[in-house]
Amino acid sequence: MNNDTKKLVWEPPFIQPHRMGEINKFGRARLHDNSKSSVYGVSVVELLRRFGSPLFVTSEKQIRTNLRNTKKAFERRYGSVVHGWSYKTNYISAVCNIMHQEGSWAEVVSAFEYEKARALGVPASKIIFNGPNKPKFILERAIAEGAQIHVDHLDELQLIESIAKDQDKVVAVVLRLNFDTGYTEPWSRFGFNIESGQAHQATKMIALSSHLNLTGLHSHIGTFILEPRAYAEQVRIMCKFMRELESNEDFCIDTIDIGGGFASQNALQSVYLPPEQVVPPINEYADAICTALLEGTQYRRQIGRELPRLIFESGRAIIDDAQSLICTVVGTKRLLDGRRAAILDAGTNLLFTAYWYNHQVHTTKASEGTVADTVLYGPLCMNIDVMRHSVQLPPLSQGDNLVFSPVGAYNNTQWMQFIEYRPNVVLVHENGECSVIRMCEDLSVMMQQDRLPEHLSMPFPDTSAMARMINSGTIARRS
Amino acid sequence: MEELLSRTGGKVPSRERLSQLAVSETGFIFDPQTGQSFSVNPTGLVVLDLLKRGSTLDVASSSLADRCGTPAEIASSSVEAFILQLGRYL
Amino acid sequence: MKATRHKGKSWQNYKVAVTGINARAENPGPGCAVARCIQEHPQFKGSIIGLGYDALDAGLYARHLCNNSYLIPYPSEGEEALLYRLSQIHRAEGLDAIIPCLDSELQNFARLKSELQLMGISMLIPTRDQFNLRAKNHLSTFCESIDVHAPESKALSNPSFFESCEKEGWKYPLIVKGLFYDAYVVHSAFEAKTVFAKLVSTWGYPVLVQKLVIGDELNLAAVGDGKGNMLGAVTMRKKALTEKGKAWAGVSIVDEGLTKVAERIVAGLNWRGPLEVEVIKGYDGKIYLIEINPRFPSWIYLSHAVGRNLPVAVLKLLSGVAELELSEPTSGTFFIRHAQELIVTLPEFETVLTEGRLAPQMVQDQIIRSA
Repeated sequence: MNNDTKKLVWEPPFIQPHRMGEINKFGRARLHDNSKSSVYGVSVVELLRRFGSPLFVTSEKQIRTNLRNTKKAFERRYGSVVHGWSYKTNYISAVCNIMHQEGSWAEVVSAFEYEKARALGVPASKIIFNGPNKPKFILERAIAEGAQIHVDHLDELQLIESIAKDQDKVVAVVLRLNFDTGYTEPWSRFGFNIESGQAHQATKMIALSSHLNLTGLHSHIGTFILEPRAYAEQVRIMCKFMRELESNEDFCIDTIDIGGGFASQNALQSVYLPPEQVVPPINEYADAICTALLEGTQYRRQIGRELPRLIFESGRAIIDDAQSLICTVVGTKRLLDGRRAAILDAGTNLLFTAYWYNHQVHTTKASEGTVADTVLYGPLCMNIDVMRHSVQLPPLSQGDNLVFSPVGAYNNTQWMQFIEYRPNVVLVHENGECSVIRMCEDLSVMMQQDRLPEHLSMPFPDTSAMARMINSGTIARRS
Repeated sequence: MEELLSRTGGKVPSRERLSQLAVSETGFIFDPQTGQSFSVNPTGLVVLDLLKRGSTLDVASSSLADRCGTPAEIASSSVEAFILQLGRYL
Repeated sequence: MKATRHKGKSWQNYKVAVTGINARAENPGPGCAVARCIQEHPQFKGSIIGLGYDALDAGLYARHLCNNSYLIPYPSEGEEALLYRLSQIHRAEGLDAIIPCLDSELQNFARLKSELQLMGISMLIPTRDQFNLRAKNHLSTFCESIDVHAPESKALSNPSFFESCEKEGWKYPLIVKGLFYDAYVVHSAFEAKTVFAKLVSTWGYPVLVQKLVIGDELNLAAVGDGKGNMLGAVTMRKKALTEKGKAWAGVSIVDEGLTKVAERIVAGLNWRGPLEVEVIKGYDGKIYLIEINPRFPSWIYLSHAVGRNLPVAVLKLLSGVAELELSEPTSGTFFIRHAQELIVTLPEFETVLTEGRLAPQMVQDQIIRSA
């Protein structure tokens, strides 16, 4: 250590005790340099200069490619297939319209989502209306306009029937089912249960009504399903139910909706192996589903009936890797246990899914210094605002940028407006141009919905005036 | 270092204690008194080496500031924090 | 990296890397036993490189087993990180073969098979499909397809199952297992849920629950040639168990029923590489398949003792030797597992800690001293 002339990279001096049982210098070694100076072909520096930090960047090309590949996987195997774009996954208008331009219908689950789809210009006949809460006013509109309604519970079925009577219509309904596939925990809170007979009871009600017609069956077995055989079992159970229905009642089922839930290349915190090893390719899902569906509908071909239309509502698998989040380091720390920490200008307020997923984190320039375990915190004054509890990164300094990916699913819809403005969301067009598709918030957006009663219009009103108001009884005296 | 002790009230290791440590060029440190081992980062290694060889706090700080091209005040407050950290472990 | 460097090289001179060299007394990995089988084979003149996951993996310092050793990235880091590290090690060592010994790392190695082959490193391991078919959560389906009994089992993602399972015919005690490792016998819903949470935090979802079958626990180790043939089975009956249910003592036996079941498994999967078949021979005389492990067991040294050195058989297969020279299966050879202390010097520990390897000159010293 006598070589005093050698230049050193500055870092506060630090000593770290070894803890036995967790020592492996290469254990979580990341690759030599995984920095990433551009996202979707556009320079990070340029993007931040134009649109500020933090910033969501969306790729039109990636969305279209993902959607085409997924649809092709099903069409090749089954034929008549409709993709319903699950609005709740990402309902930024431009994202929805890319999906619609590719032929996807809108799959909506609330009055707001229904109104949004209509406002974007989606015809009601291409809206799948799902979800447990459909208030009367929106059901009336959806029925009048001819949307495809998926029924969740008996009260809703009765409401639909009474609206149908009022409008003097026969309404085609799709029944949402739940059942045990043996692979995933059944989501028994949605739809009608097959094993308990609820589903049969509902079909009886529909059969007895002169204003209802059952035309489809729907179920959704869960989210981030890593086992394609779960879908095969789902389809088998649905087809069996359909066959019983068609032989006992005068129904003709023209729609089988298998919901979504295909996994994306994201690392769920509870899964040990990395996503590239556990997430099946889309073809494996399509294979399992279409093989089971072709088998289960064999009987219809024998009696000369057409095959039902297959609807899938894949959200995450289409959009997740088509969006990244760029953010900036606002400060760094050493935690008491010796780990490095950085505070970022984006937290779980923007990346809500950081609670369940370990998103990939890339630096944006090659950096010197040893890679070490680092904690990434968001900007919120909330202890749970952690973007990554543990990630191997080179030393970070204020002003450095990080890219989180994939973030396209459920963040632009579940993000929350807590103490911070939400940032710009931009789209990289197919030709490489960039434009804002959702403006960042500012004070006027935040205060737009507030209303101040007259007597609260001033935060610190003139005290003598206040005294007069108290004496005259305009304001109650505090007890 | 005694001055640091009276100012912060923290535990500051004596020079004798520091000289017991087996310090290798790779930043591996072994404390023969407790059997505990540590890793020290390159700047910490420079400071520890200087202190073991008898440098004062001020000399260690300024020589670290020189080697890294860091403002003297930042180096000196970081070195103090480092010594207090050593005090917690030794 | 010389792609064809080892072509024609005889297995006796191989440089073989072995993983799973952790050797905690209550639940050792198989790596040290595999290394020992190879080192003690009279014709082996090559060397063994230990690949560890933690500075306390004993094999890293056990020079009579591993001539040199390195730390490698955890399996959860994925194959790219592994390839990068293996390339570094290969540049320093020039490996001919790798014998992966842990379940959780096998997918990584399977996905790197052709890259490693191009670098001149061969492995006798199953394909991803073979690996998946025998996975714990697919096992019952596979058993049906080859007409082998298996205790009823179920994949769980919600511990509420344990509250109501007795009504559905799942009577306690039950066995609760992690996706890769660990199995616990539980006697109540409370215990089951505690174990469930522990397994999820280590191995993630799903967690498997299996009905308990009463009988003798038999284990068989063998090698599949990838063409449907099973080579050199060695069968062991556990005589005493550690707290974790691992063999503490065992004895070699010959059980034709089990051998036939194992043959059906190897043929049914076209299994390529080492495997361990764990069964219970029920008091009803039936054989129930509990698990198929895609690697050698930690008791594999018994194979050397009974004249059927299976790790060496793998090396022979990799180098294209047709004659494996395995003796007839024999019964009555016992083993008792014992723990002993390995001495590690401060410089050895330091290089493993700071550089993730043993320093080559120290390895040299050691060889000179022991010569």
